[in-house]
Amino acid sequence: MTVHELIRKVFFVEILKGLALTLSRLFTRPVTRRYPKEKRPAALGFRGLHALVRNPATGEAKCVGCGLCAAVCPSRCISIYTSEGPEHQKVVDRYEIEVLRCVFCSLCVEACPFGAVVLTPHYEYADYTREAFYMTKERLLENWDRFMGREGYEYFERFWNPKTSHFSTPRNQAVFGKDR
Amino acid sequence: MIKLTIDGREVELERPVTVLEAAKRVGVTIPTLCYFEGLPNFGGCRLCLVEVERLPKLQTSCTLMASDGMVVRTETEQIRAARRAMLEFLLINHPLDCPYCDKAGECTLQDLVARYGPEAGRFAEGKRKHPESLDDPIIVRNMERCVLCTRCVRMCEDLQGAYAISVSGRGGHSLIEPFSGGRYDCEYCGNCLTVCPVGAIMSRLHRHSYRPWFVEREVETVCGYCGVGCSMVLQVREDSIVRTIPRFGLGLNNGLLCVRGRFGYDAVDGEGRLTTPLIRVEGRLEPVGWEEALAFVASRLGEIKDSHGGRAVGAIASGRCTNEDNYMLQKLMRFVIGSNNIDSAARFHYAPAEAFLESVFGQGITANLIPGIADSDGVFVTGGDPTAINPVLGLQVRAARRSGGKVIVLGPPGGLKRFVDHELVPMPYSDEVVLSAIVGGLMEAGRSSGENRAVEERLKELRLPSEEELSAAGIGPEALARAVDDLLKMTNPVVILGPEIMDGARASKRLFLVGAVAYLMNARIYLLSERPNYQGVMDMGCVPDLLPGGGPIGLEMLRDRIEAVLGLRVPEEGGLTLFEMVDEAERGGLRALYVMGEDLLFSLPDRARVQRALGRLDLLVVQDIYLTETAAMADVVLPAAAWSEKDGTFTNLERRVQLLRRGRYPRAGREDWRIIADIGGRLGMEKTYRSAEEVWEEVTHASPLHAGLGYSEIAGGGAVWPYHSEPLKGTEAGFAVQGLGELPGVEAPGGPYLMPERPLFHSGTLSRRSRALLSIHPEPYLVIPPSLSEELGVTDGGRVRVVGAKGTMVLKVRIDPDQREGTVLLSNTFEGANFAGLVGFTADPVTGCLTIEDNTVRLERVDDEAL
Ligand code: SF4
Ligand code: SF4
Ligand code: SF4
Ligand code: SF4
Ligand code: SF4
Ligand code: FES
Repeated sequence: MTVHELIRKVFFVEILKGLALTLSRLFTRPVTRRYPKEKRPAALGFRGLHALVRNPATGEAKCVGCGLCAAVCPSRCISIYTSEGPEHQKVVDRYEIEVLRCVFCSLCVEACPFGAVVLTPHYEYADYTREAFYMTKERLLENWDRFMGREGYEYFERFWNPKTSHFSTPRNQAVFGKDR
Repeated sequence: MIKLTIDGREVELERPVTVLEAAKRVGVTIPTLCYFEGLPNFGGCRLCLVEVERLPKLQTSCTLMASDGMVVRTETEQIRAARRAMLEFLLINHPLDCPYCDKAGECTLQDLVARYGPEAGRFAEGKRKHPESLDDPIIVRNMERCVLCTRCVRMCEDLQGAYAISVSGRGGHSLIEPFSGGRYDCEYCGNCLTVCPVGAIMSRLHRHSYRPWFVEREVETVCGYCGVGCSMVLQVREDSIVRTIPRFGLGLNNGLLCVRGRFGYDAVDGEGRLTTPLIRVEGRLEPVGWEEALAFVASRLGEIKDSHGGRAVGAIASGRCTNEDNYMLQKLMRFVIGSNNIDSAARFHYAPAEAFLESVFGQGITANLIPGIADSDGVFVTGGDPTAINPVLGLQVRAARRSGGKVIVLGPPGGLKRFVDHELVPMPYSDEVVLSAIVGGLMEAGRSSGENRAVEERLKELRLPSEEELSAAGIGPEALARAVDDLLKMTNPVVILGPEIMDGARASKRLFLVGAVAYLMNARIYLLSERPNYQGVMDMGCVPDLLPGGGPIGLEMLRDRIEAVLGLRVPEEGGLTLFEMVDEAERGGLRALYVMGEDLLFSLPDRARVQRALGRLDLLVVQDIYLTETAAMADVVLPAAAWSEKDGTFTNLERRVQLLRRGRYPRAGREDWRIIADIGGRLGMEKTYRSAEEVWEEVTHASPLHAGLGYSEIAGGGAVWPYHSEPLKGTEAGFAVQGLGELPGVEAPGGPYLMPERPLFHSGTLSRRSRALLSIHPEPYLVIPPSLSEELGVTDGGRVRVVGAKGTMVLKVRIDPDQREGTVLLSNTFEGANFAGLVGFTADPVTGCLTIEDNTVRLERVDDEAL
């Protein structure tokens, strides 16, 4: 052991160096967040809890029950039951997502021709029962109100790019042949 | 030999076919839209275009015949562009409402556009508009989606033969419409729905609730409505049946169904399905648990057996139940209770007719394959309209006519109206005169092979009608001579025999004569069967004098075999037929009756008498899926599993054993065989069964007909009787025929005859539980000829009071210009308005079949105000 080393040992130089770093940190901003008091905002397009989009005109779900989301879902966790309504229209009786099985691929959102299902930025839904993760149509609409609300439309327009327009006759087209 | 090249592959053809079919043989698929296998080619959609070397333009491969040396290419850039253009044209008017359309996912247009494009249309004008037509209760037409491929029209005309729909309008305004306007007035076979490539015509039964990818299971099964035994696929989602469809290449119906099979599947979900066993307590039926009900039935049956002997117990089997169910009932009766009193509604017509024909010509004489009818060059039909009783068999008759065969119908032709060459409609109950004349004509032409001595001996006794007698029977001698001429020209003929041949006195004579016609022409005989399993009922020994295997109970070999297999004894004493059981119950000799899946009170005429007879029983057990009128009288009611809820086998009229498979679990009841086996167990039957297959296993040992025929073999199809042995033809026993030497005239009746209608849209009482079938044919009506309507002063839809010997009913009338003079028709389907409720009956002394008596009725007009 050299004299140099001896001095460093006797005067705890290493330790002091370390403490100096600790001391300097006392005066810098912390990088961690104090979750759950402090929440991190989800980035655009974050794939959180599902919601069914509410049509602002009718207040009902936009979903028409075409079943494309259920068809594309790789984990087969969407079930849809439709029937004929009083006006002979298609009525969605049940729309259910078993969230525990979902892999958050968002294929359902991409498949939907009406932009009627979305993944919201909401991610805090840990719970104690399986039922809590079984989303019915009502709960999914509620999710929309709670987690998307009015800003939701914008989020949605910008990020999910609905394909509705591809499926309808352009508005500027003339209509003829109204016989019968 | 034709040699051509398709996409570089060599094809060799024996016979000329279209390029499309030739391509299919070497595994090249050419996209099509208007082509449909089995339908005549149309060549209208131009999607099947192919390039043929040395031909300047693209050709439609579905109409182009392959010729020697052709070099064909099916996918080139030019072809793809042409297809894309054709699709773009189709999409000009197509609404593209796929998300709402029930066809999405199995739509040919969708698939083609996905494959060939275009991504967007360039047509800036508007699309044609047509509101969806919901005028019909079953079929919804959305003509915006129609691509005018005319597959539906060709199906309706060329396979179904109903000629109900057509293209109307011109150019861009063309659309498919039924001739009757918004509501269809057709046979509702639904076969047009199968072929429509898009969602233009669809069933309303699963409207807006169907998506192909929501179907979780597909179950291949057979139809439970009639004796044809069409194969069908049940599409199941979460234990409920979404729809039933036929499948091309599956079963003898090969993609076709009739209205009952296609739309009648909801009959098992009608209102009032029985959910729990019921026992009569102080005059009322009260719900009880299964244990209690089974124990009660077993102990009462045991008591009655001990105090009165097995002969005081009887059972009614069912043509709607499987072979396994019927076998088990037979086993309970014969081997546990010790009684041969077992019979079924097959006794009305089917069983006696078959037994009689077999006694004359040998066992298996009626076992012929249905698809063979279309190949024959002549069909002789009598005793009912095959297109209503066994619709898919009826289609074969139409097909035979279309390919040049002659069709001769004795009796009202019904749905064969457009397909007859000789329509012989005699006066009511004069069929035997015409039949005698036909047989006379055939014999005169020297048609007798001497092969069947007994028949030819008996034919010598036959008294032939004079020309006057023939004219009095309503048939001109020249018309008859022409018909006989055509009969003589047939080389591969078919005789189709319906239940009505047995109506009236001397059923044996008419049967013998029809048999003689078939014999003299060397024709195959088909016996129409109104229930899916009348044949199985007989094969399972649910006939007093037949054992499982259909052999007579007296045949020692058969007895020994079955006794050895079961280790139980066949009772010595002869059994009672259905009619004898009713008599015996009335007299007090029969104390207990076990009825499985049959509504005796409704299907037997002379209701008062049947009611009296059933009322005298000490124990009436009814096992059914609904609380029928008979069940309402019962002491114990046991809920059973219905057609789509159980496994088992049916034997159709050609004796093909087919598998019935469970589509979903029973909502409430249990399988019939299981209930009976449970009761048998309580009465000392040792053997237990876990599944229908185990019951069948026992059948294959007990019945020589079914030896070695396991479920796996049946599933392969083609399990047609007589399975592993030579046909038993030629084992003629003695037979009796009544009245060959006489030809009594028919006395003028005091009023029109009431005859049973066998409607296409209904089948017994089961079909009235089906909302779909009810929406097509919702209420009972009396069919009357126009002359009678004038006489009575009633118009179509007016009401008449029908006064019959056994009852009176007020009924709506329907005037049918084709209705035979002197007769009126009523079906046996609707409560309070059924044929059987108005007439009397007796049993035919020779064949033992049902003979309707006292069926002249008096009609009085009822003015609506008086109601
Ligand atoms: S995100 Fe993916 S896994 Fe989840 S429901 Fe949608 S398609 Fe299914
Ligand atoms: S894809 Fe869209 S419209 Fe279709 S069922 Fe799913 S959410 Fe509804
Ligand atoms: S249901 Fe049958 S009979 Fe009616 S239009 Fe269609 S194919 Fe023709
Ligand atoms: S209704 Fe369907 S089958 Fe008929 S022409 Fe139109 S698209 Fe073709
Ligand atoms: S013909 Fe008979 S077996 Fe075939 S679908 Fe019709 S009712 Fe069913
Ligand atoms: S399939 Fe050949 S023209 Fe339509």
